[in-house]
Amino acid sequence: MIWKTAWKNVWRNKVRSLVVISSVTVGIFAGIFSVGLMNGLIAQRVDDALDEEISHIQITNKDFRINNDPGLFIGNPDEILSKIVTIAGIAGISERTVITGMANTAGKSAGVKITGIDPEKEKQIFSLNKKIMAGTGNYFEKESKYNLALIGQELAKDLNIIRYSVDTSTLSGLKEKGLPDKIIARLVPFIGKRFANEKAFIKEMKSVFSAGESMKYGLIIRKQAWSFREGTRLTLTFLDKDNNQVGAVFKLTGLYDVSNSMFEKSTVFVRNSDLKNLTGIPENAFHQLVVRITNLDQTGEITDLLAEKLPELEVINWKKIQPDLAMMTDMVSQFYLIFGIIILAALAFGIINTMLMVVLERTRELGMLTAIGMNKKKVFSMIMLESVFLSLTGGVTGMITGYILIRITSHTGINLSRYAEGFEAIGYSANVYPQISAGFFGIVTILIILTGMISSIYPALKALKLNPVEAIRAE
Amino acid sequence: MKVVEIKNVTKIYNETEVQVNAVNGVTLDFREAEFAAIVGPSGSGKTTLLNLIGGLDNPTSGEIIIDGTVLAKLKSSELIDFRMRNIGFVFQAYNLIPVLTAKENVEFIMNLQKWSKEKRDERTFELLKAVGLYDRANSRPVKMSGGQQQRIAVARALASRPKFVLADEPTANLDSRSASTLLEIMEKLNHEEKITFIFSTHDARVVKMAHRVITLEDGKVVSDDVRE
Repeated sequence: MIWKTAWKNVWRNKVRSLVVISSVTVGIFAGIFSVGLMNGLIAQRVDDALDEEISHIQITNKDFRINNDPGLFIGNPDEILSKIVTIAGIAGISERTVITGMANTAGKSAGVKITGIDPEKEKQIFSLNKKIMAGTGNYFEKESKYNLALIGQELAKDLNIIRYSVDTSTLSGLKEKGLPDKIIARLVPFIGKRFANEKAFIKEMKSVFSAGESMKYGLIIRKQAWSFREGTRLTLTFLDKDNNQVGAVFKLTGLYDVSNSMFEKSTVFVRNSDLKNLTGIPENAFHQLVVRITNLDQTGEITDLLAEKLPELEVINWKKIQPDLAMMTDMVSQFYLIFGIIILAALAFGIINTMLMVVLERTRELGMLTAIGMNKKKVFSMIMLESVFLSLTGGVTGMITGYILIRITSHTGINLSRYAEGFEAIGYSANVYPQISAGFFGIVTILIILTGMISSIYPALKALKLNPVEAIRAE
Repeated sequence: MKVVEIKNVTKIYNETEVQVNAVNGVTLDFREAEFAAIVGPSGSGKTTLLNLIGGLDNPTSGEIIIDGTVLAKLKSSELIDFRMRNIGFVFQAYNLIPVLTAKENVEFIMNLQKWSKEKRDERTFELLKAVGLYDRANSRPVKMSGGQQQRIAVARALASRPKFVLADEPTANLDSRSASTLLEIMEKLNHEEKITFIFSTHDARVVKMAHRVITLEDGKVVSDDVRE
């Protein structure tokens, strides 16, 4: 009866209750969707890092990570592989040769990490072969007598390998992408002009577009206007195994495009065979074994097992390789909790205010209830239930709407390409797929109920302090 | 059998340092199935006396004994429970719960006392029939007239078969026809259920129907007429 009465009391003043419920709905919806968005960003960053950059576990010589000395290679990979290949949960292993050096083109140079790979083995571990920019070549698929290199889009920009020009096909491509005619018309004066690098092109674009237009259309225009000459060469210089400087010309096999600009700027892939020829590292030796596992949750367990089997080597997993990423995934739940508490605290004040008005308006009724024998516990419970019903109704509505939107956008994605440069600069994709776990809704439900209960304490105590004789006479 | 014993009860209010003797040395007994009216001019202490009998207020001195229980000896929580089980209240302004139907209002106290659904339904419909509102069982108070609401309030007061019912000016807000109907119903229930009714009233119609009329003046009993 108390439950039924409390629920009916919620709807006594429909407008007021709906205002409170709406505010809770909006607050919870915003919280849920923000968490979903954040989850999506983080999950995508972790997936991208594991699929494109570092994989789950790396095995190196104990001093290699600190010194990066080309001579600190693993000389007996077959013996090591025989020890670990049978471990359950390992999906693939690839051997890498890793050297730091410089990439040079005419007039431009950049410090890079040169990674020697076996392209076929790498395909089992990384998805980089699927990230080759259309029209730039391929993922070491063609045999060549030349040294081959695969570099990132951003490094290509830095080395002036990507150039920009506007022609009629650029304009028709932009039209197909839905750019307004008035925007395309402003590009007509640039037909036939060539720009040596992105900076020069952006500078010219700024002269005809406003800041807002540049933000909205700049990236699309640049993606349509860039050009790359297949077979472009660059020089890579680095130290060989005896610390002698070596330089060689590499023909570009293609450009890759991932969601991490820093990775693109700093990582050059070459074939293991080319790099070993140049550095003198033995045919059967490697700097790094990269391990992919089937289940992310087993990372710690398999790392420990590998470390146990290979005590002479350093075995580290992605959490240690990229501690910032690990910290983010570990801390995010605490961040959500703080975020949730702030939202709920703000909502609590609205609920407290409403419940105080409820007690004030129903003074005579509460006095009557005490007079006829409703004890303090039941009066307190009734007020508390009303408050919980108010918050829970709004909360559940907010959770349902948040869930529906997350479900939809988890399939369609949210395109934040306007901010793509900013996102990619810190390693995030501009296409976000929000996601949320079912368990999170359970936690939110408990927090909403607690908010309702806490919000009701002060108004309920006011109700208990009513003197029935005076309350019954109240107007 | 004595249902209510009031022994030399005094209630003094100390408002703005001027003492007001609302009830002054009243000694009274009420027996089972009495239909008694407490009358007197405004400020004579009628409502205060009813509040004291109902355990809503504490006497400054003297004691009130209900069916052998001294109210002053009960703790606050025990007193609330005692009221629920032994005393029915009818208020001048009806004081029904507006969000509940007539039936739900009547069975509210039985719910608090955890009666089974079968017993609740049986008693509720019995009382709704008795007050002539069986067909309005699912109506909310706002859809009823004042007289109908007060009849529901009487049914609610009687629901858990209390020892007695206290009614503070029950007809004050009713027109004469509704008041007459209400009084007839109350008298009938008093007769059938053998439950003591104690009213405070200004209403001559109530006084006329009462079996006993107690007159208060300045907080003192000035007459106590029992009619045959």
